[in-house]
Amino acid sequence: MRLERWRYTIPLRLRSLFRRRQAERELTDELADHVERETAERIRRGAAPADARREALVAFGGVEQHKEGVRDARGWRPLENLVSDTRYSLRALRRNPGFTAAAVLVLGLGLGASTAVFSVLDAVLLSELPYPDANRLVRIYNQNSPTNLWSLSTVDVQAIAQQQKSFDAFGAARWSDAALSGVGAPEHVAVGRVSAGFFQALGVTAAQGRLLQRGDESPAAPAVVVVSHTLAGRALGGAAAAIGKPITLDGVSHTVVGVLPPERADLAGIRAVAWPALQLAAPTRRGPFGLRAIARLKPGVTIEAAARDLGGISERIFPLWAAGFQDKTARLTPVPLRTTIVGAADRSVRFFAGAVALVLVIAVANVGTLMLVRTSAREQELSVRAALGAARSRMARLVATECLALTLLAALAGLGVAASGVRLVATLAPGLPRLAEVGLDVRAVGFLAVTALLSALLVSLSPLAQVLRRAATPSLVPDARRAGTSRSSNRTRAAFVIAEFALALPLLLGAGLLLRSLLRLQQVDPGFDPVGVGSVSLGLPAARYPDDTARQIFWDRLAQRVEEIPGVVDAGLTTSLPPDNGGDVNNFDLVAHPVPQGTSQPVAPWVGVTNGFFRAMKIPLLDGRPFTPGDSGSAPPVVSVSRAWAARYFPGQPVLGQQLIEGGCTECPRTTIVGVVGDVHYLGLANGAEGVYAPLAQVQARSASLVVRTRGAPASVFSAIRAKVAALDPELPLVESLLLDRLRDSLADPRRWTAMLSGFAAVAVLLAALGIFGLMSYVVRQRRREIGVRIALGAQPGAVTRMIVGRGMRYALLGTVIGLALAAVQMRWLRALLFQVAPSDPMAVLGAAGVLLLAGFLACWLPGQQAARIRALEAISTE
Amino acid sequence: MSKPTDLVQGTLDLLILKILALEPLNGWSVGQRLKQLSADVLQVSEGSLYPALHKLEQAGWITAEWRPSENNRRAKFYSLTRLGRRQLARETEDWRRLSSAITAVVRLREA
Repeated sequence: MRLERWRYTIPLRLRSLFRRRQAERELTDELADHVERETAERIRRGAAPADARREALVAFGGVEQHKEGVRDARGWRPLENLVSDTRYSLRALRRNPGFTAAAVLVLGLGLGASTAVFSVLDAVLLSELPYPDANRLVRIYNQNSPTNLWSLSTVDVQAIAQQQKSFDAFGAARWSDAALSGVGAPEHVAVGRVSAGFFQALGVTAAQGRLLQRGDESPAAPAVVVVSHTLAGRALGGAAAAIGKPITLDGVSHTVVGVLPPERADLAGIRAVAWPALQLAAPTRRGPFGLRAIARLKPGVTIEAAARDLGGISERIFPLWAAGFQDKTARLTPVPLRTTIVGAADRSVRFFAGAVALVLVIAVANVGTLMLVRTSAREQELSVRAALGAARSRMARLVATECLALTLLAALAGLGVAASGVRLVATLAPGLPRLAEVGLDVRAVGFLAVTALLSALLVSLSPLAQVLRRAATPSLVPDARRAGTSRSSNRTRAAFVIAEFALALPLLLGAGLLLRSLLRLQQVDPGFDPVGVGSVSLGLPAARYPDDTARQIFWDRLAQRVEEIPGVVDAGLTTSLPPDNGGDVNNFDLVAHPVPQGTSQPVAPWVGVTNGFFRAMKIPLLDGRPFTPGDSGSAPPVVSVSRAWAARYFPGQPVLGQQLIEGGCTECPRTTIVGVVGDVHYLGLANGAEGVYAPLAQVQARSASLVVRTRGAPASVFSAIRAKVAALDPELPLVESLLLDRLRDSLADPRRWTAMLSGFAAVAVLLAALGIFGLMSYVVRQRRREIGVRIALGAQPGAVTRMIVGRGMRYALLGTVIGLALAAVQMRWLRALLFQVAPSDPMAVLGAAGVLLLAGFLACWLPGQQAARIRALEAISTE
Repeated sequence: MSKPTDLVQGTLDLLILKILALEPLNGWSVGQRLKQLSADVLQVSEGSLYPALHKLEQAGWITAEWRPSENNRRAKFYSLTRLGRRQLARETEDWRRLSSAITAVVRLREA
């Protein structure tokens, strides 16, 4: 029954909606036909033709009224109103291109930027890791304090593999570089040496061939490797063709047994192109700690239960290896894999999101002000409508439709901004994980839609209130413009402007603090002279350089040959490049001041160098002696320390001749300090300059960087160095860099943060200034007559300007003060990004407040000037 | 606008359905036929007739069709649908109940 009815009614309704014009024409025809028939009838009854028609028309009555009756009966009303309201709104918006463009631009930028940031936030933080049952994945660390976590050693991994009861699967990986050869020119590639359990724990499957199996880990097994989809496509003729082909990694030939799917560019945060089997040699001590362990919790096992299980293992293995590792508080600890991957990004993305949210709110407040001012300007029109009988609800709908239409346009603009902005955000946001997953998807568009709707609601609230109030007391008096200036609508407008200033201040202050911090960082003495210094990094594959002797011979020859190159002033070798390549970090114990039993030992960057390195970098020898050829691998171990190291561990005491125990190795010979050198930052410019240098011959370096100071541009000698290296070994891949570039790159992240927040702050200040400009211009227009009277009575133009500017500055000042209070709460979030600048830095606080107030002053000055130019007579007579 | 509401509320629908049940007609003829059949007692203004026709059409009880009329012009003819026939039966029944009830009350002898 109902269904049958719909068969009739639905097409009719649709026709009413979409073919309104035709339906209207038919209605006109139908009514005209009626009149024709009535006329014919009257003629038939004997009336004169001319009279008959007139009488018929009179009898018929108002055609338009009948039509209205029919339209009501057909139920077109709500739809018709919507259509006509929308048309009206669009027409009104077209008539005010300046207002429309400003509002759409402001709101579109706000919406687009927040959508772009949402996409990044969504991909990085909100969505699950791309593994089956990813919430069961953990990474296992050694931990001895809430903030100090480090990777596992062979001992740890083997003990967990044998004793754990909490995991379905458990695997380990070592992320390193390797020289890839046998397929085109030799190159450095990232490799992840992994156990079979690693793939199993993550739940990854192969696109071609197989993944690693338990047998592959045995040293006796043939060397096999799983490769990434990109490597297979780039060098091995595609995924299918790659299976069975050999590739050479660090001089060892491996057979490709499997290819990963294309979307697996990284696994558990390890970005590598080749995944050979991890072969663990029998351990001789508890360290070193270089293995990343991943495990999958058994269903129903909590992370706390797994922590107890692993804690038991820690206690059982500690006594076995206590000779080389005395930190009894260290515990094997599981941490959700998601936390380990997005943990650090969490803060930066939230910070980013907070900044963009502030800008969006300011944008909405701004458009709200614009809308209010506009509604006020239309007071008279609305009054006329109300007087002509427009229902209050109808007028409210009109205003709401206009806000909605405006927001819709802004949302469309925002979609464009977001589409191009999402890549920009991804590149600007420093060091984010999972960026490959970032894109504008359905969720982002949904976010845009919801945000736009909320904005429309906020933007339309106060104009709506104004219209409803207005319509309650319809007024057509000539003073309508002044009658509409109710105190409360003025207060609402002022509140919007005050809010804009209050929200702009934290952004401005944040940008100021980051800028001061960046300037401080740029003033940090890196401790070396980067001008004219280049570096060439290389690693020696174990297959061809099996022992320390072979490697040392190579390093000695290389240093010697490079010094012969014309243009090279000084050359040396190092295992770490400042300012950001920390290289090895080692723990040590001072013989003079040992740490208490069972607590953790201090650590410092541990750099293996030749004397040429200090000369090439112009790092001064402050005390003691340089390294000599006598400090060989078989000689008693010696080190030089940086001045900062000496000041921290032997404040005011002689350092030379002091002894230390390296790496917790109590049975090894003691190391003696023989020199003190200048401070160099190896862990980033913002971090300390404590460092320990050992002779290269005593650190058994598998890889090192050649550092050369040249007479001309360093790049000019790179080809000569390539030739010298190739003469020694043609299969070594080289990585070249300039120390000046490294110094600049080291500040890239702080620079990006500063640029980003400065951009947001600039937009916020601009919007706040626009807002107060709009408000004060409106006030001047509104009080035109009053100002005219004042001028007529002899007020000086200067006094009028002061009055307007003073009024505006009251709002700006109030907003700034509220903003300072807000900032006091928020700025601790910024603390981690600041270097030697307190969040309450007076320069930054005063600067931010000053810039904001100055912008406010300039924005008020123009309307103030305008007010001063009002011609008294004109103003009084025009109203 | 004067609205001669001589008709009991809701009865116009019933009358239109009944008239269209006899034969398909255009709007003007419906009004004429109503006058004829009721011997000029019942009259409906155009301001009520056309909205009623369109409402019945929207409800799916009558359907409209443009076709050439006797004087060779296109006119809109309304006819009853199957749903309309059922509705007519229902409304006729309702009307009988209502009118007999009213008649019964009106006929009561005053004491």
